[in-house]
Amino acid sequence: MAEPLIRMTNIRKSYGRVQALEDANFHVNEREIVGLLGDNGAGKSTLIKVLSGAVPLTSGDIFIRGKKVSLRSTSDAIAHGIETIYQDSALVTQLSIARNLFLGREPIKPPRFLNRMDQDAMNTVARDLLKQVGISKNIPPTTPIGSLSGGERQAVAIARAMHFDSDLIILDEPTNNLGVAETQGVLSFVRNARDSGHSCIFIAHNIHHVFQVVDRIVVMRRGKVVADDIDPKKTSVAEVERIITGMSDKEIRDAIADGKPSH
Amino acid sequence: MENHSLVQRLIARPEFGPFVLLVVEIAVFWSFNHDFLSPQNISNTLAFTVELGLIALAMTLLMTSGEFDLSVGSLFGFSPVLMWTLFNSGLTSLEVGFVAALLVAAFIGLVNGWFVTQLKIPSFLVTLGMLLVVRGTALFVTDGFPQRTWSAEGSWLAEVLVGDFFIGSFRIYMSLFWFIAAAIGLGYVLTQSRTGNWIQAAGGNPNAARARGVNVSGVKIGLFVLSSVMASLAGVISSLRTSAANPNSGTGYELEVIAMVVIGGTALTGGRGTIIGTVLGILILRVMRNGIVLIGVPGLAYNIFIGAIILGMMALHSWLERRHQAGT
Repeated sequence: MAEPLIRMTNIRKSYGRVQALEDANFHVNEREIVGLLGDNGAGKSTLIKVLSGAVPLTSGDIFIRGKKVSLRSTSDAIAHGIETIYQDSALVTQLSIARNLFLGREPIKPPRFLNRMDQDAMNTVARDLLKQVGISKNIPPTTPIGSLSGGERQAVAIARAMHFDSDLIILDEPTNNLGVAETQGVLSFVRNARDSGHSCIFIAHNIHHVFQVVDRIVVMRRGKVVADDIDPKKTSVAEVERIITGMSDKEIRDAIADGKPSH
Repeated sequence: MENHSLVQRLIARPEFGPFVLLVVEIAVFWSFNHDFLSPQNISNTLAFTVELGLIALAMTLLMTSGEFDLSVGSLFGFSPVLMWTLFNSGLTSLEVGFVAALLVAAFIGLVNGWFVTQLKIPSFLVTLGMLLVVRGTALFVTDGFPQRTWSAEGSWLAEVLVGDFFIGSFRIYMSLFWFIAAAIGLGYVLTQSRTGNWIQAAGGNPNAARARGVNVSGVKIGLFVLSSVMASLAGVISSLRTSAANPNSGTGYELEVIAMVVIGGTALTGGRGTIIGTVLGILILRVMRNGIVLIGVPGLAYNIFIGAIILGMMALHSWLERRHQAGT
């Protein structure tokens, strides 16, 4: 089998005495959307933070296309083609869509010493990207992020990752607080990203959203990956919920009868 | 949003409120006292306005990046004292003393920036401390007395910085051109250059900017240096024009400058800044100070008006901001 895009082996991460990750093994293949599921405290956030360079790992190895890498910071991870999109923190709300897309990599108009941004080029690319990612509304690229909806912001962040050829786009709770139509929009942005050659990790509390979009589901429990090859087409939501909670059928039925949500 | 008419877009701009206020202010003062728009009054008002304005321009960029600098007033007093002390003691020429004063100011800006970005101490505390250090040094070096300044006559430095000439009956100081150049230059940096994008991002969402590889600390340190150097330059210009170098001068200017910047529409919290707004803010406050004296309101009442303007403009900006966020 071909070497996966990302392979994380025996990842351990401890915060003082708390063991957040215990020998977690995880991989993402090329052009694949992986759904990462787990209850609160299962370790999925920590795993993602390690992969996005936000927190250092205690021990373990990360390989990109078979090559061992060390991700010491978020900009390290971005340089290695790993882009993480948190719902609100990835964009500068005061800046326009185009200026956000190119932040840190603004094209410069000659002569270079004037350090002048090529705003026309930025706007043209931004317009194309918004179309490519699947935003149907006609939003001018000069619109500040602050006046966009949550789903549109996700679209801008995904478009940015696509434009700068990130191999892996990590989406942390991208459908939180979104309405039904907006959620469908974000799910289709994610599919578009996969179809144009990017891999994604999709984390969401809402299992149904995950089922609609991912190719493979990975479940974590207590710092470990407990299932990493669940096919959403052949598995039911209830079965996945069982794996997440580690409960038997009867235990889940009892929990639901007690009025506790199962996810 | 694209089909909004030109007028609507003009009104939605953060500079619109300050512009209207300035026009109203000028009209009111002129209707009370026609001397308000006399060449002599305009010349006098402009001379000091641009000196304070130089500091406000640099402060606009610094505040857009999410920081501010309370030590500018003390540098305004300290730098000319340092320059004249070096010159009077025979250590250096006036020009070398000037360069030395700017270098010391740059170093002070560097220290401010280092404390804020590396030790993560809020700029309020860092620059408050620096204000006391710099003002204290100026007082200590001079024993609290003004420095001798009469020998600037004929110095090319004085000619370049504050040389004056008449256009009709308007007396124009060279400092006006320095101010215009700085306004155009810094306006360009903020709105057109890549650095401007970084400044706004550093103030708007430093974590997002950092994640995109923007050197947020570098940007902020650079702006602290700019702020200190501009305050120093303004102090030297003022000292050469008035032939005075008082270790106490510039006291309270930091707050007046910050007021000018926020009245113009720059956000105190960072992320959004406007040089045009700051130019309007500078004029609003200086015209107010000059006008209320001319129409006979006691000068001591000045702060009442300034405070009212700040509160009024903040209410307006916050209302516009909420409309803007709502996408209307």
